[in-house]
Amino acid sequence: MPRSIARLEGVTYWYPGDAPPALSAVDLEIGPGLTVVAGGSGGGKSTLLRLLDGLVPQFHGGRIAGSATVAGLDPLRTPIPQLAQRVGLVFQDVETQSVYGTVEREVAFGLENATLPRTEMHERVDEALASLSIEHLRGRRLATLSGGERQRVQLAAVLAMRPALVALDEPTSQLDPEGSEAVLAACLRIARDGRAVVVAEHRLESLLASADRLLQVEGGRVSGTTEAALRRAVVSRTSHSPEPLEAAWEMIGVDAGPAGPRGAALLEGISLAGGAGEVVALVGPNGSGKTTLLRTLAGLLPALMGTVRRPAGRTAYLPQNPGALLHLPSVRAEVELTLRRAGPAPDVTASAGAMMAAFGLTHLAGRYPRDLSSGERQRAALAATLVGSPALVLLDEPTRGMDLAARRSLAAAVHSLTERGSAVVIATHDADLATELADRTIELRVGRAIEVEPGATPQTAATPPAAATPQAPR
Amino acid sequence: MSPRTWLIWSLAAVTVAVSTDNPVYRGLVALAALNVLLTWLPPGRRMKPLAVALVIAAALAALINVLASHTGADVLARLPSDWPLVGGALTLESLAFGSDVGLGLVAALLAVAPLSMVLEPHDVVDAMPGPLERTGIAVATSLNLVSGFGRTFTAVSDAQRMRGWRPRGIRSWSEVLVPVVLTAIEDSVLLAEAMEARGFGAARRTSYAATRWSRVDSAVVAAALGSAALFIGFRLAGVAIDWYPYPILYLPPINPALVAGCLALALPGFLPAERGR
Repeated sequence: MPRSIARLEGVTYWYPGDAPPALSAVDLEIGPGLTVVAGGSGGGKSTLLRLLDGLVPQFHGGRIAGSATVAGLDPLRTPIPQLAQRVGLVFQDVETQSVYGTVEREVAFGLENATLPRTEMHERVDEALASLSIEHLRGRRLATLSGGERQRVQLAAVLAMRPALVALDEPTSQLDPEGSEAVLAACLRIARDGRAVVVAEHRLESLLASADRLLQVEGGRVSGTTEAALRRAVVSRTSHSPEPLEAAWEMIGVDAGPAGPRGAALLEGISLAGGAGEVVALVGPNGSGKTTLLRTLAGLLPALMGTVRRPAGRTAYLPQNPGALLHLPSVRAEVELTLRRAGPAPDVTASAGAMMAAFGLTHLAGRYPRDLSSGERQRAALAATLVGSPALVLLDEPTRGMDLAARRSLAAAVHSLTERGSAVVIATHDADLATELADRTIELRVGRAIEVEPGATPQTAATPPAAATPQAPR
Repeated sequence: MSPRTWLIWSLAAVTVAVSTDNPVYRGLVALAALNVLLTWLPPGRRMKPLAVALVIAAALAALINVLASHTGADVLARLPSDWPLVGGALTLESLAFGSDVGLGLVAALLAVAPLSMVLEPHDVVDAMPGPLERTGIAVATSLNLVSGFGRTFTAVSDAQRMRGWRPRGIRSWSEVLVPVVLTAIEDSVLLAEAMEARGFGAARRTSYAATRWSRVDSAVVAAALGSAALFIGFRLAGVAIDWYPYPILYLPPINPALVAGCLALALPGFLPAERGR
């Protein structure tokens, strides 16, 4: 049996003021290699990872019972700065975990805290950058990096501490496929070096083949599980190819957005159209202009040139980080607000209740939305956005941080909307979602929109762009 | 220039700007700081947000003073005297003094602007003396969150607008501002958590970068400290360096030594910006 790097025995943890425990009677052992942590939103995955590096309970407070040993230290009592030299944690959001503005100094931040001599710091920074093959980023400003590059920088910052255990909390949820692949490949390399790598992820497909151990976290309880069981949990693809009824929206020769790297508008000469009842997926790497296109179509961003036409009726728009829009005291109040704003509705309470049920939020209807887990919050924002009968639905990365159940709810909601004639446009990095829901896929590359042939794989951003081609609904 | 030189220069320029009410000296400090900022501004950094903030700050200062201070011999207009606080004479003198206060704000803001617009966050940390290093990190991280604040504001106002929200009076903005503020607080907590997880808050830290110091740094520090010392010395010696335009407006006095002190602050603006960076 491989040596144990982390061992938890009978650990139960309550957040401050929270009645049910976030973790309940957890017994587990983690050795070297890759451990994948799966489970639904709000199940306790993030809490488990924070327990491994002492943030729970030392940063978050609350009550805890049981015992734990991680890398030879007691994470319940060892000061976090001391633990930080043995255990590293990479967070989900690449932007809110950066302290400094440049790559080299960001990687060195933890080493400065560990009061290492300057020469050793330089050695470790070199080593960490090399281990992730990002030496070329050394002098770059973080603001100029892609999401995948930034997440690898954060991983390098953790590796520079030479930890025995590295935990990553949904590290790819905000990344495009290329960035996700690079981060996960880095995780595998670290795991092969004999360290323990613990990754909490909803998108398990790319990790399952390499995982040494799989943990299922549901309702605060942790259990080992099998690959087969997890594979069954992966969302099944359904056939969906409705015929669009009529052109509902169109963009003709549209230039939009701020100046891109080439000094021109981010989007140039975009000509697209979508039908009522049709789902169009927008794909492309981070920074390719998907959000700009959605905002232009929504009327939030004026087109610099060209014509944008939307259908009569409400346009529903879900931004990235949709939880940010939530501000009312309960989930129910958020959903009802949208209905009331949309105009006279026959029964606001019933409609809101049905939408919350569709997203599995009924038991959370009275909760303050910002007290929910990130996945639950995402579902609450989706319910508050999609409720009613919007004529045009624009979704910007709707599956960020979503578990499988929530993805199914989203798919069902989109099907329901299209059956009622809504036109839907989804900007996404999630290839499964695009395959499952989209009638057409449009790839944005270097400011141009290119229709992806059915069954074809979207090309990479490095491919030279073809001429813009106006596309009409089928 | 060394980050520590920037810090000393900024502190000296702020000291001069707030140690006198004389608009001539304040104006000279503002011009010197603006010249320095434009000389050293890295490519890609935008001046427009700062310029907008400066104009708003100066205009508000002038407006508040002219509405609230009814002293002065030259009456420009009158508001009904039964209007609380603002009712009464609006005078040329109060407008001049309000503009002077605004100019002081502009000078002070331009003096500290290089700390966020020229230096990187880690430079600010490096510039701080040991005991204030954590303060430097707090400043550096808060500067990092500023850009996120703007993005959140755009995202939330977009989303609320699409849910039917329209700006109708001050209270309606709570639907945008409350989520933005809550998100900013959450982001701050997440950042604090990330910093803690990386060992921040332990014993005194070491620094990754070696301290650089050149003759240019010595010259800039000497000029900046000399300028600040000049103004403080004049004030301690009781030599009039202020300007108070009540009850009758008059031209501000000018002392050549103090003008020279202000001009000394412009020294970094005449250095090649690449040096030492």
